[in-house]
Amino acid sequence: MNYKPDESTLMAYLYGELDAKEAEKVHDYLSQHPEESHDLQQLREVQQILKHVQEKEVIAPPVFGDASSKQVHFWQTGYFKTMMSIAASFILILVAARLIGPEINYSNGELRISFNDARKTQEVVQPQPPSLTANEVQEMINSTVTKNNESITAGWEESQQKMNQSIKSNFISNSRKLDELMEVTSQASQNQVRTFVASLQEENLKLMKDYLKLSSNEQKTYVEALLVDFSKYLQEQRKQDFQVFQTRMSSIEKNTDQFKQETEQILASIIANPEAAIRKVNNY
Amino acid sequence: MAETLPKIAMMHSDALIARAREGDKNAQGKLMQVWYKRIYNFGYKFFFDHDLAMEVAQKTFISMHRNIEGLQETTRFKSWLYTIAVNYCREELRKRKASRSVSLHDLRPGESEESYRWEASSSRTENPEKQLRHSELSDLLQQCLMELSDEQREVVIMKEYEGLKFREIAEALSISENTVKSRMYYGLDGLKRILESKNITKETIGYEL
Repeated sequence: MNYKPDESTLMAYLYGELDAKEAEKVHDYLSQHPEESHDLQQLREVQQILKHVQEKEVIAPPVFGDASSKQVHFWQTGYFKTMMSIAASFILILVAARLIGPEINYSNGELRISFNDARKTQEVVQPQPPSLTANEVQEMINSTVTKNNESITAGWEESQQKMNQSIKSNFISNSRKLDELMEVTSQASQNQVRTFVASLQEENLKLMKDYLKLSSNEQKTYVEALLVDFSKYLQEQRKQDFQVFQTRMSSIEKNTDQFKQETEQILASIIANPEAAIRKVNNY
Repeated sequence: MAETLPKIAMMHSDALIARAREGDKNAQGKLMQVWYKRIYNFGYKFFFDHDLAMEVAQKTFISMHRNIEGLQETTRFKSWLYTIAVNYCREELRKRKASRSVSLHDLRPGESEESYRWEASSSRTENPEKQLRHSELSDLLQQCLMELSDEQREVVIMKEYEGLKFREIAEALSISENTVKSRMYYGLDGLKRILESKNITKETIGYEL
């Protein structure tokens, strides 16, 4: 038997991916070669051990197919839509430009908007009549200005003269009136002052006389009353002093009488009992 | 392993693929629902990293939606899908090698309660302790897988976990079938040695479980 299965055949055999004939050949070979069979058995054991690796549970994320497929579907249409919209907008602009455009081209053959050109022609026509009238207007203005100036100056001078005249007349009349008034008032005041002073003097004299009379009478009566009161007061004072003197004198008399009696008693006691008196004196 | 609903759906997905090719959005969405877990797990086993696996899965399905209308044969959908996934995996690998960044999860894998691995323990029917041990074993085996070369790992995952035929893997990687088989052989052989070095055998696993 020259047949010897190579590694790949053995692997195919191990995982049962050989056809029946090949598998039988390998089986026969392995039954004749226990060493090879043992090796293969060891690999089977490795397989068995590897089975213990756990499967990890995992939850598939939410389907993103919708978004992506939508993008695929709308990609072309969306692209064309945007392109079409841009193109349409361009066409609109071009059409609008062409609709307005010919009016420019026909009028002047220039790339200008028709309204601007119309305005320009109007502006050109208008300046011609004003150029003729401008001088006239200026002359008119000048003449009116000069006329106005003349009339204003004339009016002003007239009014000034009138004002001066009226001021002068007023001033004169006022000054006269003032002078008259001053004269009247000065004369009146001199007489009045004289009479007033005279009356004042007379009144003063009368008042002074009356006051002196009244005051002299009052003083007389007052002095008389004062003198009477003073004399009365003096008399009262004399009476009181006299009474005080009498009471003092009487009290002194009483004291002397008492003293006399005491001395008499002491002398009597001493005479009656001289020894006792001497002892008392010695004790003191 | 019991055949889950997505797997059954996968078997009957030819009509779905045909409709998706014609631009049916619903069909494309359903295809993604059916295949998302497979592609994610492929990425996860390839990188042993949740974020990178999510990245690859999302990119793969975005690409699928964009390009499925250009798919020639419905029968080649599976290998076509894995081609996209493998290409994104290689791209991420290049990026990661260039930037030399390290995922924060790898600094303390599976230790913290905040770890995504803790959250990932979804089957509630099993004993929690057993579940945790199984999860630890799974991570251990995953680390063994990471010790293989990228080329061998691709093939081993596709064959062992994704159940592709050698022909399909060859199509997906655009290499010859024999190359796939030999890579598979050396992949298994390498794993055998790695497992031996870590003293992981059928017996030790049986004891642990």
